[in-house]
Amino acid sequence: MLSKSQIFLVSTFIKIYYRDRQSLIFSIIFPLILIGVFLYADGEPSPTNLGLVNQSQNELSLKFTKLLEDKKIFLVQQGTLSELKDSLNSGDITALIIIPETFNQSGIAQLKLLLDASQVRQVDFIKDSIESTLLSIEREIRGAQPMFALELEDIKSRPQRYIDFLLPGILAYMLMNLCVAGSGYNLVEYRRRGILKRLFVTPIKPKDFIISIVLARMFIVLIQLSIILALAVGLLDINIIGSLMSLFGAVVLGAFIFLCIGFFLGSLAKTQESIQPIALLFTFPQLILSGIFFPIASLPGILQPTAHILPLSVIASSIRDIANDGATLINFDLNFLGIILWMLISFFIATKFFDWQKVNS
Amino acid sequence: MSIITVKNLTKNYPSPESANELFTAVDSINLNIEKEEIFGLLGPNGAGKTSTLEMLEGLNKIDDGSVEIDSINVESSPYAVKKIIGVQLQSSEYFDRLNLSDLINLFAALYSASVEPRELLAKFNLENKILAKPDELSGGQRQRFSIACALVHNPKILFLDEPTTGLDPQAKRNIWKIVKTLNKAGMTIVLTTHNMEEAEYLCDRIAIMDEGSVIAQDSPKQLIKDYANNIPERTSRGNLEDVFLALTGHELRET
Repeated sequence: MLSKSQIFLVSTFIKIYYRDRQSLIFSIIFPLILIGVFLYADGEPSPTNLGLVNQSQNELSLKFTKLLEDKKIFLVQQGTLSELKDSLNSGDITALIIIPETFNQSGIAQLKLLLDASQVRQVDFIKDSIESTLLSIEREIRGAQPMFALELEDIKSRPQRYIDFLLPGILAYMLMNLCVAGSGYNLVEYRRRGILKRLFVTPIKPKDFIISIVLARMFIVLIQLSIILALAVGLLDINIIGSLMSLFGAVVLGAFIFLCIGFFLGSLAKTQESIQPIALLFTFPQLILSGIFFPIASLPGILQPTAHILPLSVIASSIRDIANDGATLINFDLNFLGIILWMLISFFIATKFFDWQKVNS
Repeated sequence: MSIITVKNLTKNYPSPESANELFTAVDSINLNIEKEEIFGLLGPNGAGKTSTLEMLEGLNKIDDGSVEIDSINVESSPYAVKKIIGVQLQSSEYFDRLNLSDLINLFAALYSASVEPRELLAKFNLENKILAKPDELSGGQRQRFSIACALVHNPKILFLDEPTTGLDPQAKRNIWKIVKTLNKAGMTIVLTTHNMEEAEYLCDRIAIMDEGSVIAQDSPKQLIKDYANNIPERTSRGNLEDVFLALTGHELRET
């Protein structure tokens, strides 16, 4: 149980953090911008610009041109070979299709596709689309019925967009940043200014100090993330399927882990200058490896086992399971086990290595 | 009766020149500080005063020897000792965004004590600053606030580390008055200073440290008799500080 002085210390730290309006506001604005950017990027893709040089002008080539122009994914621009080659070089169009004079129904009608090979990502996609356009023309001319039809269905049969996958990850990532900065940077700053020395002249124990700051920060972080979540749900039309209780539960446990790790990093750092690279060393690899922007399954196989046990991974995937699949927090799966394990590890290293005395030397 | 007994107290730090060697900051010193006296720890910079104080306060590890405060061993029961001592540090900064009242309440809570901030601050002429932040205080006010913070739990012993360094004569004399008043009320006070006039005026007994050792320990009067007896007696004239105070008055200069 918390003692009276611990409760007072917690409320004092809440007061300190609450009065720091600037950092409160900015820590909310940043994730909103991030979510906004991804939401925008997740919308209707803008059509790919294609150049088309029709050197044939026969019935077949006109039919092909029309079908291609009807495709929403392409914006077709016709012109002469030399001007469209310039456009391709300058990047105004992504690919250039040339219909040669010899394009006709006798034998195989040959098309030529000029590409900027640096646009690797789009090459296959353009190639496939053109081939399917050619195939449908072929069918039409031969009067053949399509043999196959493909219907896309999400196995989880619910409307889910990339943003729904992304938001839990961003929440977890923000949680990590707010917490590591909150405890780690604070610790170094308080130590440098001699505030910790003044504090430890009194009979407070390091453990009580850490618990007090962690509880106070948890409270503030919970408010910050509630605001972010409320705005995300309200403005961006995000679906949250699981219970908010479970969601906040995961956030609270995550806050505990990252605050404790922040304390540990703050104890490692000797100076104000070194806490930043040290914190970055902890946070940045997790941004890549913890399945925030892309599922862990898309990482190279050799990295996957490590990626799954990172603290950000277990928190992000817990939050995602709750928000997207309606899971509960306490379900004794591997994520929950990982959270408990990380709570123990982080609290241990935070108290074991806590250093209020280190001087700049 | 001595309230602080220091026996063969030693502190070593890694030598700045070579990582494998040790440098002895405090070299097996012995001190006896009597109950209800004002005890001064003097010495040039680097003599080991702060290291000694920090070991007495339970802030720094004791490498050898022992310290007993009010019959409690500092090394084995640092938290019990911290409860009965009040400490004013040389440079005291506080958490941002808290006013004097918040800070007094915070320190009181750390000792599980309760105190009325306005009453305590009034004793230090700071009652009209109760909602100010420490940053907004003058040097003298800050130092008085620092002492006030050390008194939230009504300690038996008060440690003051250079309490008047950097203060103007008015603020300095004001601190002297506070120290005398606290001592008259029964508090034992241990202080360090570079101001010899201050040591002579305030302290019942003095220890002079140099290079980690205590080289003399006695009352100011006796020390003067022993070491400065053949220096011609000072004239009855005052010094320049008295001139300054005569011209600018004894009242504290602050708003």
